Amino acid sequence: MTKSGQPGISRRSTLALMGAGAVTVATPWVARAQAKTIKIGMPTILSGRVAQLGTSSRNGVMIEVDKVNAAGGLAGRQIEMVIRDSKGQPQEAARVARELVNTDGCELLLDGEASSGSFAVHEVARDLGVLCIHTCSEASSLTADPKQHIPNAFRSVRQGIHDSIVGGSYAAAISKAKGLKKWATCAPDYAYGRDTTGEFTLYLKRFAPDVEIISDSWPKLFQPDYTEVVTKILQAKPQALYTCLWGGDLTSYIDQANIYAMFAQMEVFAVNMADYTALTVVKNLPKGIHSGNRYIKTFPATPENAAWGDAYKAKYNEYPTNWSWQNATAVMLLSEAARKANSTDGKKIAEVLAGLTIKCPFGADGTVTMRGDDHTLIGYAIGWGTTIPQEPYVPEVKAGDWKTILELEAEWKKSKGYT
Amino acid sequence: MTELQAERAAESLGVPRIEAQSKRLRYLDVLIAVAAFAVLATLPFLFSSKALLDFVIRCSAFGLFATSLNLLVGYTGMISFGHGMFFGLGAYGFGLIMQRTGVPIPVAFVGTLLITAVVSVMIGAICVRLKEIYFAFVTLAFQMLIHSMILSWASLTGGDQGLRGGIPRPVFIGIDLTNHIHLYFVSCALLVTGLLLMRQIVQSPFGYTLRMIRDNAGRASFIGIDVWRAKLTIFVLAALLASTGGIIMSLFVSGAYPEFAYWTISGEGIFINMLGGVTTFLGPMVGTVLLLILNDTVTRLTEYYGIVLGIVILFFAIGLRKGLMDFAVEWYEQRRGGGRERTR
Repeated sequence: MTKSGQPGISRRSTLALMGAGAVTVATPWVARAQAKTIKIGMPTILSGRVAQLGTSSRNGVMIEVDKVNAAGGLAGRQIEMVIRDSKGQPQEAARVARELVNTDGCELLLDGEASSGSFAVHEVARDLGVLCIHTCSEASSLTADPKQHIPNAFRSVRQGIHDSIVGGSYAAAISKAKGLKKWATCAPDYAYGRDTTGEFTLYLKRFAPDVEIISDSWPKLFQPDYTEVVTKILQAKPQALYTCLWGGDLTSYIDQANIYAMFAQMEVFAVNMADYTALTVVKNLPKGIHSGNRYIKTFPATPENAAWGDAYKAKYNEYPTNWSWQNATAVMLLSEAARKANSTDGKKIAEVLAGLTIKCPFGADGTVTMRGDDHTLIGYAIGWGTTIPQEPYVPEVKAGDWKTILELEAEWKKSKGYT
Repeated sequence: MTELQAERAAESLGVPRIEAQSKRLRYLDVLIAVAAFAVLATLPFLFSSKALLDFVIRCSAFGLFATSLNLLVGYTGMISFGHGMFFGLGAYGFGLIMQRTGVPIPVAFVGTLLITAVVSVMIGAICVRLKEIYFAFVTLAFQMLIHSMILSWASLTGGDQGLRGGIPRPVFIGIDLTNHIHLYFVSCALLVTGLLLMRQIVQSPFGYTLRMIRDNAGRASFIGIDVWRAKLTIFVLAALLASTGGIIMSLFVSGAYPEFAYWTISGEGIFINMLGGVTTFLGPMVGTVLLLILNDTVTRLTEYYGIVLGIVILFFAIGLRKGLMDFAVEWYEQRRGGGRERTR
């Protein structure tokens, strides 16, 4: 073999490169050994069409983390959040979650993913055994389905089934009072839209058996033009419309339906309307849209909730979203569980978390509970009301009855074969 | 098409006999593959970083996917915009078989490949008749059809929430895929075997036939090559390897999600090929490593990943006007004084 005599990468450079590589790989382990702070990892969606989910979740977390740190930290350890974008892709959510635990040394996870991403992170929690609180996914099956159950995963989020029970009973009462028998539905064409609409109509018909669904529309998620859907509904001439469109889809829909004066022709029940992201973006918010509460600082009408909403607005110059309160609640639960366990060990925190009740500004009675048997949040403020075009946007919210919710939820779980 | 036909075709074009050379190369390829596997196998003993193992597992999944796409794009001139459907099919096929039947993993693996073969023959039979942009768009249409089916058939696929509850991974012949190290070794083995297989395909007379079809399909047809059959064969082979990539990904995330079969996965495959280069065999593999390093480092630093990626795309598309490996090989040949013809 002859030497080429060409200049190239020298042995010394190669060794230097390998050394640099080894240092890069080893750095996180060295860093972890030195840590007095506790790192909490959070994969979420910070880019793309639903980036607001991630940014408002991050805000909700940080406002509470700052409070916990100021009060001495999580069982004496200052919290350092490591929040990373998954771009809304489940394989990225799984990768980021693993990286946060394996490389960045995060000891706990807050899962700020929606839909499929949350199930991907759930599998990571199952594999790694790390304590994980889901803070955005409303899919009921995430905690209701026993196949999903693992001792180290919890959910600090409202659930689709709870919303449907409260929405169904509220809509049925209005239906009876106003004689609304012909209904139309309009929902985004994916699991959330189909499941939520199905459950809403199930409970609407249960409480008001003479209701009839005469038209259903399934626009695509993130569809820009709703003309076809609006005209289809108008042609069917229903007396009431139910929609679970959300975010930008809901605001586009309302702006476009306003052109056809749709809201003067029927009662509209939009479960996701009463969230500041939707309320403040719609150009001409019609009066009298019925909506479930998402986050609104006037419900529950307590000084604690109002103060929390104002503090958030003061800090971030925008109102909180539904995701904000859910993420804030996760930190509140963690903090209280760590205090009771007097430890930051995931297993010990998990043992305390199951069945834990804490004081919370978002509780229906000032408290929320992490239910022990399926690790999901109950007792949060849930209700329906009607909109007005200016603050407080939804002046009166009729609170749902948690006793009824829990009874019907148990029945629903049985019907699904979950219990 | 037989080897004899291919050799005759090659001779008629004035290409020198390649048999002896290709035999030598074949042994060399096997040696390189064994060496590559040996290097990969030593990594877990040298570094304790689990992130490194995760990285190699993801490289295996996307590397197989992107290199198989290059069999179509670079070697046959068939620009498929729908190759991601087979990645998704692999993930869903494997996940569903494991969840619903509980058969041993090798059986599920073979079963998934059989399903992919059947589906790819059906889709390929329609698509490969079409040329250029028509082929690209019909493959994209089939991909969207499969994606829509995954979303709509919620009772089977879990709809937009994907296959939930984890994929069971029972132990087979002492291999436990719930163990991260075992999964790493199996992924590496599949990657190296897949790459070696693809290398054999492109170095075989059939591989040279594909290049001829890419350069002049009319001429290939005139000398007696069944262009449709050759295109269909490579379409199915590429689908099987993309499906293997999907199986690795489903094992990594212990699930399957509709995003695996969405057009963005195909787009990523095309981008990996642009990044690494389509005129060298290892170009897509280099592109995969580059894209994943870029993704992982940029995501750690900023949430404006899209802007960084866009700038990199512009650099390669407008600046280099070729992939990194194409650029490196050309640069190397120029340094050597140029002139030596590449056989690719």
